Amino acid sequence: MTVAKTSFDTDGRMDSIDKIHAGFEELGYITSAQIATSIYLARHLAKPLLVEGPPGVGKTELAVATAKFLDLPLVRMQCYEGLDESKALYEWKYGKQLLYTQILRETLGEVLQGAKGLGESMDRLHQFSDVFFSEQFVEERPLLKALRAESGSVLLIDELDKADQEFEAFLLELLSDYQITIPEIGTVKAKVPPVVFLTSNNTRELSDALKRRCLHLYIPFPGTELENKIIAARVPDVSETLRKELVAFVQELRSQDLKKLPAVSETIDWARTLVLLHATTLSQDMVRDTLNVILKFQDDIETVEAELTTLTNEALKSASLPAGAS
Amino acid sequence: MDQTLGNFIKALRNSEVRVSSMEAVDAHHVVDLVGYRDRDMLKNSLALVLPKTPEEKAIYDYTFDRFFEFRKLDEQGADQLDDTFSAENIVPSLSDELGEGAMGEGGGGGGQGCAVQGGGEGEGIPDITDAVETADKNTELQLSSLSRMLLSGDRNALALAMAEAGDAVGVRNIRIFTQKGLFSRRIMEHMGLKALNNDVNSLKKKANPDTKELAERLRKGRNYLMQQVRDYVEQQFMLHADVDGSQLREEVLSQVRLTNIERRDFRQVQIMVHKMAKRLIALHSRRRKIYNRGQLDIRKTMAKNHAYDGVPFDVRWKAVKVDRPKVIAICDVSGSVATVANFMLMFLYSLNEVMPNVRSFAFSARLGEVTDLFAEGNVEDAMTKTLHEWGQGSTDYGQSLNDFADIALNDIDSRTTVIMLGDARSNYGDPGSEIMKKIYDRAKWVMWLNPEEKNTWNYADSVMRKFTPYCHQVQVCNSLFHLERIVSSVLRSAS
Repeated sequence: MTVAKTSFDTDGRMDSIDKIHAGFEELGYITSAQIATSIYLARHLAKPLLVEGPPGVGKTELAVATAKFLDLPLVRMQCYEGLDESKALYEWKYGKQLLYTQILRETLGEVLQGAKGLGESMDRLHQFSDVFFSEQFVEERPLLKALRAESGSVLLIDELDKADQEFEAFLLELLSDYQITIPEIGTVKAKVPPVVFLTSNNTRELSDALKRRCLHLYIPFPGTELENKIIAARVPDVSETLRKELVAFVQELRSQDLKKLPAVSETIDWARTLVLLHATTLSQDMVRDTLNVILKFQDDIETVEAELTTLTNEALKSASLPAGAS
Repeated sequence: MDQTLGNFIKALRNSEVRVSSMEAVDAHHVVDLVGYRDRDMLKNSLALVLPKTPEEKAIYDYTFDRFFEFRKLDEQGADQLDDTFSAENIVPSLSDELGEGAMGEGGGGGGQGCAVQGGGEGEGIPDITDAVETADKNTELQLSSLSRMLLSGDRNALALAMAEAGDAVGVRNIRIFTQKGLFSRRIMEHMGLKALNNDVNSLKKKANPDTKELAERLRKGRNYLMQQVRDYVEQQFMLHADVDGSQLREEVLSQVRLTNIERRDFRQVQIMVHKMAKRLIALHSRRRKIYNRGQLDIRKTMAKNHAYDGVPFDVRWKAVKVDRPKVIAICDVSGSVATVANFMLMFLYSLNEVMPNVRSFAFSARLGEVTDLFAEGNVEDAMTKTLHEWGQGSTDYGQSLNDFADIALNDIDSRTTVIMLGDARSNYGDPGSEIMKKIYDRAKWVMWLNPEEKNTWNYADSVMRKFTPYCHQVQVCNSLFHLERIVSSVLRSAS
């Protein structure tokens, strides 16, 4: 059997999982084996990739990094309730159509000159019937743009769970065949199938039909080692001791019963904050002052403040252990 | 089609990972692409194609590890069983304890016996250890191939024979746990148990001490083999049958009276309730608007087409919005009704997504609101607390309904569905039916659920007949099956 391949060849960048891993690392995105495999398969099976996971673990970032890695334009579509075809796919440029009919009024008169009776006029008009519903009057929206991109593109459909169920069904044709049907023009098929990413925060269950058509990647919170690497790549200024300590602290926090657990993006923000404050090691006061960077609910902050001493001490302790010992 | 992958997908389906045929095809593409060489890569790759929710991923990890379990093979065995991945080979690693005492001697020469291809009787075994050969000569007895295999301690051959026998008797078709013994027996028989037994018996009869020892060794070998076969069947059962077993159990549990469900099954029932709730959510979360095509919504159409100079390009139709139901559940928590109340409340609160406004009240002698207890999540705790707080004393419907009227009668409006759960046994006290009437007058729908069978209604102190006129619907409810139907009808009636 032959696997359909996207025709843009990326000079062997996608050849092996190791290469993907290294390439993304250069871009500052640290991939786990699972994530690297998913990119590899998405490319080689030419299938869309559905990415789920808690907020802030780098779902959107993955698509951005992939676009950079493949040197392709990123077409991003943010989903929201009430999103429909006209916003996602195409729209007729109504103003332009109106303007043209006004300007062409006289031409129209000429065309119709000499026509006898209504029937003949109609016949003549019919010869030009689709003039006003042609390519020139189509306003491209993200999906159409991604399909028409000359050298392929990375299409990111962000937070699909926010869109309505109907919209999901509408995407099915695009996801399985990389084509879309516009009644007035016909079927638009991608010259080069785009690399499609869909992300979801799981606010609602996506339909089985959609899931079936996609590879499904779940990104959980990273483990200590991976998070250390991520912080090292994203915030190179942070000293090694501080990095280990703050990662240990965040990992500790995730085992607490909180409303919203801190994600990687929060860890990165926190690391940046601590660097700005010239911290070299984690101290209790420092943590208390900057707690609002990692925790986004007052309730959570209060819960953690009560146990700050224990948490900080444990973080310091596990950070000082050699890697892998904890 | 790749048989191994097919079997793996079957095992996944058995463990309740839903794999469609399209996904199975994808999995084949994946295997074509990445191959079987790198186990981690295969695991990561298939994890993207087959399981599609975090829960399914966890099951997948577990199943994958069990299915593609490597057996540690010695050098010679390795090339013989090149396709280590094949499902037949997930026999439990024959542990090193094989050599325990009696088998020690034979085990030493085990490596040489690898040429044995399977458990077929009468197949030639070229090299058996000298010990066995001498034993053979001494006893002038032709040992069966299974006995030879046991004596030679050739684990690979044994495992292979076991797998082949397993295939031959169709161990994959194992469905329920009571079949385990049957299949173990069949596999043993297929491997040549009879001949083995004969060998043991005839060896025992000889007076020679050497043969006695040999017989003893064989006997131990047989026990060992039985253990292995049992393990093997156990594993096959886990992979291929567990679900069919649990499906059967679920079927039974959904029909059985809730009051008769035993404590140990509670967890299972809880899981089932969640599953049913999920199904209902999927069914009802979608239809939130019903369009009346043909009835123009003039206001909306005008607003929408204002931009086009009022030319109605985009026509809007009138739609009926389906309301999220407002449910008030009043539960008798005395005696036997409590179990049913427990499951009903569990059910209602699992439907949070499509039924966000559930208020619940519990009563026996007095009534109180327990919404907060249940809304917090842990249903088991909530029920215990509820029973402790409101489940004491003899049931008094009159008093309880009075209490209810004080707390919540004014909150009942024309969109509220009231579900009353109780056996209507008021200990010959005043049933308080006039309050029931007030509820009936205000609410959109009043439903009385009685856990007793219909023929015991109105018998002894049951006063069902006094309540019936003030209910839109009166129903027997004592199994999960009933519960599901009732809750579904509540959701439907909301439109």
